[in-house]
Amino acid sequence: MSAFSDALAVTSSGLRAQATRLRVLSENIANVDTPGYRRKTIPFELSQSRGSEMPQVRAGDVTLDRSDLERIYDPDHPMADGGGFYDGTNVDLIIELADAREAQRSYEANLKMFEQTRQMSSSLMELLRR
Amino acid sequence: MFQNLDVFKTAMAMARHAGTQQAVSAQNIANADTPRYRAQDLPDFSETLRSTMLTQRATRARHLNGAASNAPPAPIERRDTVDPNGNTVSIEAEMVTAVDAMRAHDRALSIYRSNLTLLRASLGR
Repeated sequence: MSAFSDALAVTSSGLRAQATRLRVLSENIANVDTPGYRRKTIPFELSQSRGSEMPQVRAGDVTLDRSDLERIYDPDHPMADGGGFYDGTNVDLIIELADAREAQRSYEANLKMFEQTRQMSSSLMELLRR
Repeated sequence: MFQNLDVFKTAMAMARHAGTQQAVSAQNIANADTPRYRAQDLPDFSETLRSTMLTQRATRARHLNGAASNAPPAPIERRDTVDPNGNTVSIEAEMVTAVDAMRAHDRALSIYRSNLTLLRASLGR
């Protein structure tokens, strides 16, 4: 039954996209104290794969957040300019954590769907047994 | 009762419909965070049943009142709340739809199996 294989394929594309998103988020969080680091964002987009009519999802190209970097006052810092300031990051931990939460929630939903689809197709196979 | 095995046909059509519905739900959930994605939904099985099953027998595909095809119905757009990014998927609604689809699938397979048992019993096998 091709509906099930379509469902499994689209679900696994969702899992992959959410995992990529989580990787980018953890890069941001890991670099929260790196001077001059710009936050990375990753857009989700529809992708049409061969052999399946269902529009799957994939993580697109990484883009950098253009918002201003944090100005940190620390005259002793080696990178401090004349005024005693240096550039921090534009990573906001709260935003990253909230995003990670959402990614986890979507990942779990996809996982549930995968499991359920597998269950349905195996119960279909049970029909063949006497 | 068993002159043309309509029960099997109906049960299989129901299972197929449930499978398609599950796939549509899976697609919606996979795209739950995709900007501008519009959630899809299938019409109820009972609605498709009236048009494809229990009708006159057709000799040609375009026969008057004839059962045209076994193809599942085309997805329609589900109108729920719209996120600021234009996405209309609600994971909660999809979960409910998916569980409904699974129960319908199980029900269809049970009907199929019990009719098979009945048929076997009447054949004495």
